[in-house]
Amino acid sequence: MADPNLPAWSEPFTPDARERLVRAAVQRVVDREWAWGGATGAGVKVAIIDSGVEGSHPVVGGRLVSSVAVEIIDDEATIVPDEPIDMYGHATACAGIVVGLAPEVEIYSVRVLGADLRGKGAAFLAGLEWAVEQGVQAMNLSLSSKSERLFPYFHDIVDDAYFKHVSLVCAVNNVAGLSFPSTFASVFSVAAHAIPDPETFFYNPSPPVEWGAWGVDVPIGWKDGGTTVATGNSFAAPHICGLVARILSKHPGLTPFEVKTVLAAIASDPATTTG
Amino acid sequence: MTDPGLTAALQALRQAARRSSVARRFDIDAEQALLQTIVDATVALFEAEASSIALFERDPDRLEFRVAAGAQGAGAIGLSVPPSRGIVGFVFSTGQPLALSDVLSDPRFDRATAERTGYVPRSIAAVPLVDQDQTVGVLQVLDKRTSPTFSLRDMELLAVFARQAAAAIRAARVQRDTHELFRTVLAQIGEGDASEADIEAVVSAATTGLDMDEETPFWQLVDRVAQLRNLSDRELRLVADILEVVAAHASRGRRSV
Repeated sequence: MADPNLPAWSEPFTPDARERLVRAAVQRVVDREWAWGGATGAGVKVAIIDSGVEGSHPVVGGRLVSSVAVEIIDDEATIVPDEPIDMYGHATACAGIVVGLAPEVEIYSVRVLGADLRGKGAAFLAGLEWAVEQGVQAMNLSLSSKSERLFPYFHDIVDDAYFKHVSLVCAVNNVAGLSFPSTFASVFSVAAHAIPDPETFFYNPSPPVEWGAWGVDVPIGWKDGGTTVATGNSFAAPHICGLVARILSKHPGLTPFEVKTVLAAIASDPATTTG
Repeated sequence: MTDPGLTAALQALRQAARRSSVARRFDIDAEQALLQTIVDATVALFEAEASSIALFERDPDRLEFRVAAGAQGAGAIGLSVPPSRGIVGFVFSTGQPLALSDVLSDPRFDRATAERTGYVPRSIAAVPLVDQDQTVGVLQVLDKRTSPTFSLRDMELLAVFARQAAAAIRAARVQRDTHELFRTVLAQIGEGDASEADIEAVVSAATTGLDMDEETPFWQLVDRVAQLRNLSDRELRLVADILEVVAAHASRGRRSV
């Protein structure tokens, strides 16, 4: 029994708990070969809503096609062209993981983290809205907002994304309290497991986290061409995002609902996966 | 100081300051001690070289390291870093817990800041301190002696510690906001004419009176009550019952001793 005081959103994906993830056989109607065999992510646009992707970093593989930033000008969130540099390294890490799984995706970098923290939530919101309008098919959001005031706006944009068939992949935040959009039902919410394999992922039918992907000791690209090893749900989400991009490149036009169905069907078997 | 409005306001402020001072006796020391306990416990639990808590402050936006523990922790205290930099800045800005290991292989890992503390870590884990709907700071831990990396379990334990820290910080912020309120009210009384120094003078005039009260039997009683925090609920109820009788007695008029 898990300690009730722990924010154990990764707990369902631990070796002892995984038997609870076993699903009925009817879920397993397609296999990985059907889902993404031969797929490279070609033709799929993925937005990385984060700290700005470093375009020249080797892990990004030259796949960065657009860089914008959200700046707060006169209290208005405004989209401006951005240099392909990373303020922290985090966006580059996420982009690198996506490209690692789907080497021919097109990366759209939307920098929503900047020096001015006052407009942080509004910038995130505006970046998300902009990316939806660009017609990207998937997005990686390894960040979240806690602003109760912005909740209804996020809700509207996330619904809009869903109906425009944009798969939003969100790292859940292992910290108590309101946090969105990762807690919204239509998004792909992701926590970490510790099996060092980018293609091992689990489907969890119990909220609040639907997906478990590799997020412990993940080798990542970091800022200024650097590399490091990182742990966090931040690095689990882009693994799911990369796999979503693969599926979408082989089966263009799938809705987020359909992508989730395919992912659930080909998720790692919790009964037989070791590690 | 002859303006009756100002006199009345000062009277009200004096009363508010008195209450705030009482509250501080209960909370502030406990808050600082609790934050210190959290970093002490973090270091012990993780067998880490250092742990510290940085709190967000405005004008300019910065993260200030307030408490630290561990063999390599002391250098961090008092250090201030912009939220747009480093692991701590990222965790603060995104609210995402994060651990990096083998950070030395990263050529630009906020090394300047690390060097200012006199210690450059090989691994770092950081979690946000979340109070209601905002992030107020970051708890970080450097270099577990037993492992080169941090596990998921480590991250979740750190999040529990962070919750405790956030609760303690919240108590402290209420105190500070009260003092900010005094300053604002005084500034308004002066209709903008009062200089910073004038305001300080009035505030210290109001609080000097309090300090002179320090050793009165009443403040000794406050200190005694503050010491009762660790009593059980049953014992506290007993004390409350006794105090209720005393308070009823007092409300019937001051008694000469």
